[in-house]
Amino acid sequence: MCLNVKSPSYVTGLLLLVQMVSACAPAAQQTTQSSSSMTQSNSQQTGSSEQIVLAIGGESEEGYDPTLGWGRYGSPLFQSTLLRRNENLELVNDLATNYNISEDRKVWTVNIRQDATFSDGQPVTAEDVAYTFNKAAESGGLTDVTVLQEAVAIDADTVELRLKQPQSTFVNRLVTLGIVPKRAHGSDYARNPVGSGPYKLVQWDEGQQLIVEANPTYYGEPPAIKRLVFLFVEEDAAFAAAKSGQAQVAAVPQALAVQQVEGMKLYDVTSVDNRGLLFPFPRSNAKTTPDGDPVGNNVTADPAIRQAINVAIDRQALVTGVLEGYGSPAYGPVSGLAWEQPDANIQDANIAQAKQILTAGGWGDKNGDGVLEKGDLQAEFTLLYPASDSTRQALALSVAEMVKPTGIRANVQGKSWDEIEPLMHSNVVLFGWGSHDQTEMYNLYHSKAAQGEFYNAGYYANSAIDKTLDLAMGAPTEAEAIAFWKAAQWDGQNGFTAKGDAAWAWLVNLDHTYFVSTCLDIGERQVEPHGHGWPITANIAQWKWTCN
Amino acid sequence: MQLKRVASFTVRTLIRLLLLLIAVSVFSFVLVSLSPVDPINAYVGAEMLQISPEQRELITQRWGLDEPMITRFFLWLQQLATGNLGMSMVFNQPVSVVIANRFQASLQMLAIAWLLSGVLGLILGIVAGAKAGSWIDRIIRFYAYVLASSPTFWVALLLLIIFAVTLRLAPICCAAPPGVLAQDVTLWQRLHHILLPALTLSIIGVANIALHTRQKLIEVLNSDYVLFARAQGESLVGIIYHHGLRNVILPAITLQFASLSELFGGSVLAEQVFAYPGLGKATVEAALRSDVPLLIGIVFFSAIFVYTGNAIADLTYQIVDPRIRLGN
Repeated sequence: MCLNVKSPSYVTGLLLLVQMVSACAPAAQQTTQSSSSMTQSNSQQTGSSEQIVLAIGGESEEGYDPTLGWGRYGSPLFQSTLLRRNENLELVNDLATNYNISEDRKVWTVNIRQDATFSDGQPVTAEDVAYTFNKAAESGGLTDVTVLQEAVAIDADTVELRLKQPQSTFVNRLVTLGIVPKRAHGSDYARNPVGSGPYKLVQWDEGQQLIVEANPTYYGEPPAIKRLVFLFVEEDAAFAAAKSGQAQVAAVPQALAVQQVEGMKLYDVTSVDNRGLLFPFPRSNAKTTPDGDPVGNNVTADPAIRQAINVAIDRQALVTGVLEGYGSPAYGPVSGLAWEQPDANIQDANIAQAKQILTAGGWGDKNGDGVLEKGDLQAEFTLLYPASDSTRQALALSVAEMVKPTGIRANVQGKSWDEIEPLMHSNVVLFGWGSHDQTEMYNLYHSKAAQGEFYNAGYYANSAIDKTLDLAMGAPTEAEAIAFWKAAQWDGQNGFTAKGDAAWAWLVNLDHTYFVSTCLDIGERQVEPHGHGWPITANIAQWKWTCN
Repeated sequence: MQLKRVASFTVRTLIRLLLLLIAVSVFSFVLVSLSPVDPINAYVGAEMLQISPEQRELITQRWGLDEPMITRFFLWLQQLATGNLGMSMVFNQPVSVVIANRFQASLQMLAIAWLLSGVLGLILGIVAGAKAGSWIDRIIRFYAYVLASSPTFWVALLLLIIFAVTLRLAPICCAAPPGVLAQDVTLWQRLHHILLPALTLSIIGVANIALHTRQKLIEVLNSDYVLFARAQGESLVGIIYHHGLRNVILPAITLQFASLSELFGGSVLAEQVFAYPGLGKATVEAALRSDVPLLIGIVFFSAIFVYTGNAIADLTYQIVDPRIRLGN
C-alpha cells in the first residue's frame, strides 16, 4: 500500500493542470521538430555512453546507508550484496561465492569472493559482512534483520550468520543488504557512501539530483554508462523532461503512457504492484483491536459473499478500463513470481456462478429491492479507498458496479489513511501491496500477524493455512519453501485465495510504465515490486548506450 | 541618554523574543503531537508488511517515540539548553544542519523577492500617486488589485505554464541544471533557476506596498505644505523628492518588514510548485511526516526570522523620521 506522503492535494491537482496544458503543447512542438532536423539531433545529444539522465524519483532522503534500508529494491548502486535476483528473480551469487545452511537451519555460512574492493581501494572482508549484518540488526531502519542472533567472521572470506529461529525468507536480506566497510561506517556514511558497487557517489543535491560515476574498482564487468544523473522530480516534470529530451529514462503514470514521445520507447513493465479488496473475516463484535477499534463484519464473514464477489468481478475489464491496458488481472498477492500458485486462478466475470454461490449460501432477494438478504442481514457493506489515489477510486467504483447485478451492494467511500486505519478491520478496504519478499504474504494471512495494524488487517484465521505458512517460513531454502508458499494459496482443498477461503478479492497488478530513449538498451526486465521508479535500476550496471 | 534607551529597547526586545519562543515551542509540540499522522507509518510506507513488530519497536526506540509527549518535550528542552535542536527523522541529519543547508537556497530567493517587491512596489506606488486619476494610475491600480487577490500558488503555476512549459524560457525545476557539478554551475545558470520563483514570491508584496504608498502620497500632495511649495514654483518631481518620499517611505518600510512572515509562508508554496529545494519544501516534508524535531526547528527559526524583521523596522523608523524616538 502507499502511505507515501503526497504533497497537498491542491498542489497535485494544479500540477495536473500544468500537465494538461503541457499535453496540449505537442502539436506545436512536433512541427518545429520536423521542420528542423537540427532540433531533433540536439535533443538526442543530451544522452550518451558518457552520461544519461533518469527521472524516476526514488530519492532516499535519509541518505544511502544499507543498514538503514537503502537498496531495498532496485540497485543499491554504491554497495553490492551477497546475492542478487536475476531477471527471472532466481537467486545468483554476487559478493558471495557460495552459501550453505546448517542442519538445524539456524546457521547460514557464506563464503565471499576475495577480489572485491571498496571504492577507496580497501578489500571487502568477512569482517565487513559480519559488521553490516550486526549493525543492520540493531539500527531501527527499513531493513528487518531482527531474526539475526549475531554474525561472526570465521576467517577472511567466511562469515556465519546465526539466526534466532529458522527463517527461509532471510535469503531476501542477503539479496537486499549492501555491504558497508566497518572502518568507514560512521554517522556521516549515509551522505558519503563507500561501497563495492558498480557506481560511486559524486554529488547529491538534496531534493534535486544525484550524480554518480562508474566505480573503477568494481569487481564485476565495468558499467557501460560512465555517469548517471538521477533527477528527483514529480511525475509530470519527469514527463516534461523526457519530452524535451533532457531525460533518457522517465517513470510516468499510466495515464501519460498513452502519449507518444519523440525518440523514446514506452516500456510497460509487469509488476506485482497489486490492488485488491481486503475482507474482514470474523463476524462483527467478535473482538476489538488493542486500540479498541471494531473487528469483523457480518456480511463479509460469510464465505459465499467473498467468493461471489471474487467470481463476479471482471478483472480484464478493470485492466482495460481503469489502467488503460497497462496492467494484468490478479488472483493472488504474488502474481508473476516464482511462488505464485497458478492453480488458484479462477474463471471470473461470471455473474451466473456468483448468483449460484449466493443462493447456495442462503441469500435471496425476498423483498425485491435488488439487494439480497439472509435473515435480518442485508448483503451490503462499505468499500473504503484512500481518497488521494484516483486509480483506486476508479477501481472501487467499477467493482461496486460489477457486483451490483449479483445483488450485493458496495457503498464506496474515499477517506484519508488516518480515517481508514480505525475502520479497516470492520470494512472492506482497497489495498495495494506487492513485494519480492515472501514475508509480506506471511504477514497478510497469518492469524498471529493480526494485531490491529496493517498486518492481516481483516483478522483472517485458518489454522491449516497458519501451519502451511509456518512450514514455508521454517523451510531450509527458498526452493523448498516455495512448495509451501504455493500450498497456502491453494493446495486443492484449502487456501486463502478465491477457490478456498477467499480472504481477499485480488483485482489487478499495475504495470510500471517508463519512457526510455530508443538509444538505451536496458536489458530484460524483472517483475517489479510495489513502488514505481527505482526498481527499474535493478540491472543498471548492464545498461548500454547503442547510438553514437 | 540615547545609549540607555537603546539598551532598554534591546533588553525588552530579547525578553519578548524569549517569551515568544517558549510559547511557540509549547504550541507546536502540542499541535504536532495531536496530529493524526503516525510518524512510523509515514516512515515505513509501502514496506509496512516486511517490517516485523520487533523492527517497528527498534524504529520507535531509535527516535525516542516510546516516551510520552511530556517527557519528550522536557528531553527536547534539555537538549535545546545545550544548543542541540535534535535529529531530523526525515533527513537523518542534525536539524541545525538541515535548516542551514536549506535556508541557504531559500535565502537567495527570499532576498531577491524581498528587494524586488520593495523597490517595485514603492516605484509603482509613487508613480500612481503622483499621477492619481490618470490612465497610468488606473493601470497600476488594476495590476495591484489583480495581484492582491491572486493566491501565490496560482500565480506560480500560471508563470510556470507560460515561461517554463509553453515558452521554455525558464527551467521546470530545481536550483541548478541537471547533471552539472556544483563547482561548474555558473552565476547565470543560478539566476536562471532562481528568477521565476523569486519573481512569483515578490508579487505578494508588490500590490500591498504600491497601494499604501499611493494613498499616502495622495494625502501628502493634498496637504497645505505641498500647496505652499507649489505656490513657490516647486516642480512635481521636486515636491515628491523633498516632501513626499520621507512621508511615503514609512508605511512602505513597515509593510516591507511585516511582509517577511508572508514571504516566508509564500516560499513554502512557491518552492513546492517550482520544485525548488529550500526550507519551504523541507517544512512540508516535516509536517506531512510528523518529523517533530525538524518542524519545531523550522518554526523556531522562522519565528526568530520574522521577529528580527519587525525589530529592524522599529529601529529604522527613528532613522527615517527623527520625530520617532525609542522608548516613546
